[in-house]
Amino acid sequence: MAMRDRSLPRRAAAFRLLVIAGIVLLLVTLAASLAAAAEAAGAPAPGGSFIRGARILAPDHVRLQLAGPPGSLDPANFRITDSRAPDVPIEVRDVVLDKENRVLLTVGDRLDPAAAYRVTVREPAASRDVRPAPWALLLTIVLSSALINNFVFTRYLGLCIFFGVSKKRDTAVGMGFVFGLVMILSAMLSWALYSLVMAPLQIKFLQVIVFIGVVAFLVQALDTILKKTHRSLHQRWGVYLMLITTNCIILAVPLLNAAADSGPADSFALALGSGIGFAIALFLMSCAREKLELARVPAVFQGLPIAFTLAGLFALAFMGFSGLTFLR
Amino acid sequence: MSTSQPITLIDRPPSAKTLLMNGIFGENPVFRLALSLCPAVAVTTTVLNGLMLGVAVLLVQVLSSVTVALTRRGIHPRVRIPVYTIIIAVWVSAIDMVLAGFFPALYAQVGLYVKLIVAFAIIISRLEVFASRMPLIPTFWDGLGMGLGFLFALLVIGTFREILGSGSILGHMITPEKPLLFFALPAGGFFSIGLLMAFFNAVERWRNGGKASAAGGGGSHGHA
Amino acid sequence: MSETVKTPAGATLAPMPASELWRIILSMTVTCALSAVVLGGIYIATERYAEEARVRGERRAVTELLNLSEDAKVLEIRQYLTPARDAVVYRLPGEGTAGGRELVFALDGTLTREGMLSAAAPTPRDLHSLGRIFVAMKDGAPAGFVAEGETRGYKNRIRFFVALTGDWTIAGVRVVEHEEDPGLGAEVATGWFQGQYVGRPIGAVPRLDVTRDPMPEDWRAALRARARTDASAWTTKYGPLEARESEKPIYAVTGATISSRALTDGVRATILHFRRRWELLGPHVTGPAGSAGLEGTP
Repeated sequence: MAMRDRSLPRRAAAFRLLVIAGIVLLLVTLAASLAAAAEAAGAPAPGGSFIRGARILAPDHVRLQLAGPPGSLDPANFRITDSRAPDVPIEVRDVVLDKENRVLLTVGDRLDPAAAYRVTVREPAASRDVRPAPWALLLTIVLSSALINNFVFTRYLGLCIFFGVSKKRDTAVGMGFVFGLVMILSAMLSWALYSLVMAPLQIKFLQVIVFIGVVAFLVQALDTILKKTHRSLHQRWGVYLMLITTNCIILAVPLLNAAADSGPADSFALALGSGIGFAIALFLMSCAREKLELARVPAVFQGLPIAFTLAGLFALAFMGFSGLTFLR
Repeated sequence: MSTSQPITLIDRPPSAKTLLMNGIFGENPVFRLALSLCPAVAVTTTVLNGLMLGVAVLLVQVLSSVTVALTRRGIHPRVRIPVYTIIIAVWVSAIDMVLAGFFPALYAQVGLYVKLIVAFAIIISRLEVFASRMPLIPTFWDGLGMGLGFLFALLVIGTFREILGSGSILGHMITPEKPLLFFALPAGGFFSIGLLMAFFNAVERWRNGGKASAAGGGGSHGHA
Repeated sequence: MSETVKTPAGATLAPMPASELWRIILSMTVTCALSAVVLGGIYIATERYAEEARVRGERRAVTELLNLSEDAKVLEIRQYLTPARDAVVYRLPGEGTAGGRELVFALDGTLTREGMLSAAAPTPRDLHSLGRIFVAMKDGAPAGFVAEGETRGYKNRIRFFVALTGDWTIAGVRVVEHEEDPGLGAEVATGWFQGQYVGRPIGAVPRLDVTRDPMPEDWRAALRARARTDASAWTTKYGPLEARESEKPIYAVTGATISSRALTDGVRATILHFRRRWELLGPHVTGPAGSAGLEGTP
């Protein structure tokens, strides 16, 4: 009897592990394919679509796919500017026609594939923005906040709940899921209030109060709604909702978005990434801590000290993500 | 130190000395109660950062406790948690602005964490447990004790990490090179706290002759 | 009062009489109103100091970078991009109570408008700021420039000042704001790392790059000594070393390649942008001799 009882939770746990591994794999493949598609991005500016496509070939080449032969191959016929400094033309050193209707420009500066540039051809007159696909940029933010700058292991936020909830895998998964949901909702609501109400009215200094008010309100509202509509769900997830109010991350994300004056898409990406990152951190920690219960821990280390040491090992592992970039 | 719990249940307000010592040692927020750990790891890369945040928390704790003690009769019990949160948020914002105005260079390092003080459980739990029930003077000492305990914890961790990680104290180099840069990193912060917690546990065991409750690990603190 | 009210929310509350509801609403409203007033007051009181502290810090950084005396004349020029991103606006302060000047250039470099601003003219809020330029004036000619720049570092953004001497070599780089890790990325804000940029001529800037090779120990010692010794003594002692290293790329901080690259890219971009803009702006600020020294640079 004891054998059968143990195999069922183990299978469920294995299934969950598989699901999470699958999601991570999916994200990685998605990221890679989007990055590859990023080259074709770049909206044609008003003035014609003579420039069909433009791609930055790091570090100092730009490849333009044109709809016809260019008026001249003289470098003076082409102009490239960084969109942050449209008045400073980047020196075009050389122009080569490497295929039919395709020119390769060599520039005198180092180009950044993650930045936005504008390419203008004088003859025939046309211009086009070259930039990474918005999708790729957002995915970078998501992956950055989930892995590279993981809120728990790199920014040490949310530790309060992290150590309390990560003892069992079930609670960890539950907390991660609920947290992600509340995180996204509260971040978007906070963004809306900040950009549309507080910034125009010059009351940005009230951001701390407003953001925590949003969180408290949201948690309260979700709790009430869940209790009325899905009693069973409330039984399972209700306790996690209460714990979220004192979670540092839920306040940090709106604060970071406010400080960076992010747009709605960026704010959403940061919230999504931090939710995913927190869930991953919780899940990993809970798996390890369950194993830890069977280990022989010295008396003075029992409880939190060993959990902190464990977190330190995870943080060390997560440092390996620091060079991760998909925009090339 | 499980005997320190009853401090909050005694009818006669305890003395100032008892409250202070309780806050620093018996119920130290970081090492014993294991609350508000985020800043303990985040800002203790140098002693100066830890000092700044510790002082900020001390001020918020004392001011909030005093405010609640003065106005507790006017706060409706059903909405007391939101009101506590608002009071804490007001003081946090105020201190945040003052720090930004008068210590801009230091503030740049700890700015985000000062704003996050509003989410610290230690402060709101102190308000709920102590400030709302006790008169003004004991509340002041309790707030001061807890705040000093937090500051003490941050200073200990900060010193440990700065000496080992950067070889300096308050910016002055005391070793020729950085001994173990690792301790200045996030991962090292976790290790530092784990080691220091274990150390304080060992101290408690030694003081109690071999039997003591482990810091924070005994109870499953679901929230902090 | 009913002790069932334990948690912030969720506990089943007994139905409330209307009077109690009003009491709660009144209590919350008063609290919020009071808080807003208190915070507003503190904000008004401290905002001024925050602003002054920032200005003071920047002024100090600029005078240090350019090695000026405290009372040297420094002209602060603000650069803006119009909302439609089709023109660049420069605003120069006026003398004393006189209004400042405003120059507007189209993207191809032609001057489209030049005018005077009244002293109290506020900056239109929809102009994108491109940072500021500080020009140190001596006897009517520019003795040095400081350009403000910003780049994305490993953690968040890195704000810095780049100083150029009157004859267009880098006088120094100073990081004024960053959130990098101490001991790693934060090392780019130290004097010895920033000392690597000093002395490089503007012609070498487009090729400025970062290498992960370890820095030679003798050069590291020389850079550390730079802060402690005065300029002429340092050049006498370490001149040949500097000549050897001035052609090499910037040595990255070990374990902080991203931050080192970010700062170098930012410095490069800021200098190149400034060079182009001063070509157009210089003659209007200082007279035809303003952009002397730039001809012939690649």
